[in-house]
Amino acid sequence: MFYRLAGIRHTRYAADRQLWPVPVDRAQIAALTAFAAAAPLLLSNLYLGSYLLPWIIWSTAALGLNLLMGWAGQIHLGYAAVMAIGAYSTIHIVRAGLPFELAIIGGGLLSAVIGLVFGFAALRVKGLYLAISTLAMQYLVDWIVSHVQAISGGSQATLQAPAFRVLGLPVAGDMMRYYVALAVCLVVTSFLLNVGRTSFGRALAAVREKDFAAAIVGVDPFYFKLLAFWCSSFVGGIAGAVLAFCYYRAVTPEQFNLDVSIQAVAMVIVGGLGSVIGSYLGAALVLLAPIMLNNLVAALARAGALPMSEEVLSHIPLILYGGLIVGFLLFEPLGLAKVYDNLRNYFLVWPFRHARR
Amino acid sequence: MINDDDRPQTSGDRGVAAPPSLECRDVARSFGGLKALKDISLVLESGSIFGLVGPNGSGKTTLVNAITGFYPPQQGRILYRGRDITGTRPHRVAPLGIARTFQNLALFRGMSVLDNILIGRHIHMRSSALATLFYWWWAERDEIRQRRRVEEVIDFLQLEDVRDEPIDVVPLGLQKRVELARALAAEPQLLILDEPMAGMNQEEKEYMARFILDTRDEHGTTVLLIEHHMDVVASICDRMAVLSYGELIAEGEPGTVLADERVVAAYLGKARRRAA
Repeated sequence: MFYRLAGIRHTRYAADRQLWPVPVDRAQIAALTAFAAAAPLLLSNLYLGSYLLPWIIWSTAALGLNLLMGWAGQIHLGYAAVMAIGAYSTIHIVRAGLPFELAIIGGGLLSAVIGLVFGFAALRVKGLYLAISTLAMQYLVDWIVSHVQAISGGSQATLQAPAFRVLGLPVAGDMMRYYVALAVCLVVTSFLLNVGRTSFGRALAAVREKDFAAAIVGVDPFYFKLLAFWCSSFVGGIAGAVLAFCYYRAVTPEQFNLDVSIQAVAMVIVGGLGSVIGSYLGAALVLLAPIMLNNLVAALARAGALPMSEEVLSHIPLILYGGLIVGFLLFEPLGLAKVYDNLRNYFLVWPFRHARR
Repeated sequence: MINDDDRPQTSGDRGVAAPPSLECRDVARSFGGLKALKDISLVLESGSIFGLVGPNGSGKTTLVNAITGFYPPQQGRILYRGRDITGTRPHRVAPLGIARTFQNLALFRGMSVLDNILIGRHIHMRSSALATLFYWWWAERDEIRQRRRVEEVIDFLQLEDVRDEPIDVVPLGLQKRVELARALAAEPQLLILDEPMAGMNQEEKEYMARFILDTRDEHGTTVLLIEHHMDVVASICDRMAVLSYGELIAEGEPGTVLADERVVAAYLGKARRRAA
């Protein structure tokens, strides 16, 4: 329909390699970016602060995890721990008086270094064993964060994010915090988009698919696995810092526990491994589905359609949510990105059923 | 196409000055009690096509794995252009100018044909996360330059039609060709082909034989060819060797080697004598 490929003939490699070769895709992206930039003017504070803001921050985090899981094919069940390291260290660095821009880089670097240590496990073990050793990282970091006074201020303590400035402007109010999160999200997104078309991304995919074949073309599987852990942890640390400064505005150890790690993995799997748009869709579904299911169940209960006790009602959304994930793994293992792709492919040739081949 | 008379001279001219492209000296490798390779010594002259044949399980692939570092030899040495490369890890073998294909295809699923060939250029590229982050400033120009080289390989192997297809949907014969393209994209000086014509029909075999000859003639690439199709080996190889149970039982010009009694026995058993 709109996505016509007919008549689009690229004559230069640069044109063939661009991120969105189809003009209508470029128009869509431009419209989305414009909407994202104008969102504070268009949306109420409730929607901006409680829906859009967490969505873009979690999309940033999911993109980082997707680099590791989707591109490099290494599972990570301790991603929330990585985010916690980024959040806590950025807060401590800002408190020490350094500017936020440097602090967030420092937080990312610290996450990357500690994440890398656990990446070494990936050199020895694969699959389930790697899952367990990253799980160990989650528990280890959880324990250290909550028990070391100097980091968290004690197991029950909440650490307030200090006031901060970005590029000389004080960041206060939902609008400024949203723009900071958006800027980080855009940088990470453009990085991940480019991973899909550079030799770095190809090397990661090669290691994921067949490491011996990767080695024979000169890709060092060990080095690229570690590099994937490094980059993914760096992005995770930065996402954690943004989450702490722009959304929660305070950190407690519970914000980064195992549940959160599982949630991040769910975002990547439901969204689609190795897909940028999938990370956005996955984050949206995982964040919004519980809210919408809650509202739905509450509405049905009010209407008298669900004659059950409060106790049972409160669990129904969780059950549905779990069913949703299982359903995705069963029926669309490539996630929401694949659903979107199928839809797009359908309209590419509509009203016909097949393309020329 | 160079005619048959010119061929020995091509290798001869190079042989005088340059050391042999590949030399195996008493290479031995065993797995537990199984002696997969017993004191194999071979010399591949630069710019020649060298055939390596033998019944299944005779150690051909093990020899290739020893050369490319997957199973380093336990004894003996492997010299590449006069330089000792014994035990060099696989990912360090590629930058030396050695490329190989695999018997059972080792392409990267989930990637397009083009990406599969592009990764063959890996050793000529700088693959860093920072270059990816600053793509428009640090990576784009190089990516396009590499793409141009890859298009030459695509043109050479006539893969234009399937360039943008995902590798999974490409038929087997073409997948073999894509794997050859990936190896050629690295611009190797030594190309190791492990049964590139397995499962191919006569027409596809002829195409592949032509590609191998053209590669050697255009780039002076040395080719180590493992193949079961004797007609192909006999017609395109300058020299050949036969392995049987890990032992080198014959080496020389295809005509003489294929007439060797021990070679015939290794392939056909003793039945021939009983029949005679």
